[in-house]
Amino acid sequence: MSTQQTPAAGEARALAARPHRIPAGLASLSSGNVRAVLERGFTVIRNQNWLILVSGFFEPVFYLLAMGVGMGMLVGEVEGPGGAPITYAAYIAPALLATSAMNGAIYDSTWNVFFKLRFAKLYQAMLQTSLGPLDVALGEILMALFRGFVYALGFLGVLAAMGLVTSWWALAMVPVAVLIAFGFAALGMAVTSYLTSFQQMDLINFLMLPMFLFSATLYPITVYPEVVQWLVMAMPLWHGVELMRQLSVGHLTGATLVHVGYFAGMTALGLWLTTVRLRALFLR
Amino acid sequence: MTEPDPTSLAYSGRIPPHAQMAQRARRFGWWYYAEAYLRGMRAYAVPIAFYAVGQPVLYLVAMGIGLASLVSGGVGTVDDVDYLTFVAPALLVSTVVMSVSGEMTYPVMSGFKWQRLYYGPAASPVSAGQIAVGHFTAVAIRFTLQSAIFWAVMQAFGASTQVLTSLLLVPIGVLAAMAFGALLQAYAATVKDEGFQFSFVQRFVVMPMFLFAGTFFPLSVMPVYLQWIGWISPVWHGTQLARVASYGAEVDPWLMAVHLVFLLACIVGGLVAGVRVYRRRLGA
Repeated sequence: MSTQQTPAAGEARALAARPHRIPAGLASLSSGNVRAVLERGFTVIRNQNWLILVSGFFEPVFYLLAMGVGMGMLVGEVEGPGGAPITYAAYIAPALLATSAMNGAIYDSTWNVFFKLRFAKLYQAMLQTSLGPLDVALGEILMALFRGFVYALGFLGVLAAMGLVTSWWALAMVPVAVLIAFGFAALGMAVTSYLTSFQQMDLINFLMLPMFLFSATLYPITVYPEVVQWLVMAMPLWHGVELMRQLSVGHLTGATLVHVGYFAGMTALGLWLTTVRLRALFLR
Repeated sequence: MTEPDPTSLAYSGRIPPHAQMAQRARRFGWWYYAEAYLRGMRAYAVPIAFYAVGQPVLYLVAMGIGLASLVSGGVGTVDDVDYLTFVAPALLVSTVVMSVSGEMTYPVMSGFKWQRLYYGPAASPVSAGQIAVGHFTAVAIRFTLQSAIFWAVMQAFGASTQVLTSLLLVPIGVLAAMAFGALLQAYAATVKDEGFQFSFVQRFVVMPMFLFAGTFFPLSVMPVYLQWIGWISPVWHGTQLARVASYGAEVDPWLMAVHLVFLLACIVGGLVAGVRVYRRRLGA
């Protein structure tokens, strides 16, 4: 019995033995225990909403089937990245993956967070423990990323099965989907922390629909006047769509780095803002 | 004895005998409930108005102009008209049908469970059936307005070749929306817990209906094993009628009769089922 430890006891000892390495400046924001937040997230998924989570995978697939097959018959081939003609299905597939990464992350970090923040008072409860605002923010965002990761993996499988994957670079679409989700989740949570009513939450929908429709998802943005093009290019989804599209055929350019940089910046800004806001809301 | 004007009653300062009030409620109860529901909508009138105008503009720009540029580079015209003309009436029908799901899911559950708004009138001489019909009527009125706004935006885009008969798009849109709405209302009334049911309806009924029911491309370009989705969905039947009204699409008269009968049958069937469920659940 003395040599056989229960897993839980072993885990507890390992945790105790390893001191939390928290940089001095962050000590008031974090106890280094993001894991507790994640553990709760996975328990909720397992017990309550795994069906909803799984079903979300079908949304981009339906879009791909309908628009790729149906519209494809009307549109024929279009110009892909680098100028090579590709089928319409291959053109919109990467855009749909980027959109689905956005949608999942936004849902998780806005409505979900809003409910927990204003109604369930979950974060208040969490912050009564040793958890800091940074733990909570990171934990929630990582949950959103997990969902994005699972969807991206599934969607890539569908693309491969439909014969729409032509480059090994397409494998990078999975981590990139996570990066896109990271940017949207971090910023989404920060914005949500400012909102106090359902009416204000509708603002998010007002931003998402046009962003989806106009970000070169279903057709190139060159159909717009130049001013509108600049507006579209300022929006995050456009960068995600372009990035995915380049990866899907393996046509990488200097612009690829710009797109990645956009999301890295968005993520950093969102994380910083979220932490600051949670501290302002709860640790006065 | 002539019936007093029910609208003047509130201002008359005269309280009629109880029996007379009850008689009135038994006759006009459905309208009383509809009126109360419509007044409740004023709380979120601004988002509704924003959506009613914003949605048609966004969709017509994105699909009728953006996507149309790809179609004109592909097959050119669809159904012998340019793509904007082809897609606009269908967009009217499908966006209105999609929006109806917002009024016939959670508000119904709210009436039974969260706010329990149905129970007050049910305790009065207003019958359970009238409550069901009243909710239905209020929603129909909202979408008559929304259809009309969409029609006006369409005309601004010059998307109808027959301006006069295109006015029929308004009743057709409402008919299609309420055909789906009546069925959904009857179903929503049977739901007792806030689980995944409504998310599933959104994902596996509303979304596919939008994508596969011939909105963006004629049903005939889809493989036959996907065409049935259109055949059983109110969106396709409404869309076919809308195309006849908007640009004179060629549809056999007997098929037009089928479309019309299908939509009416959905409404009648949905309402009969709905009234039955409401009666059972409100214990009348």
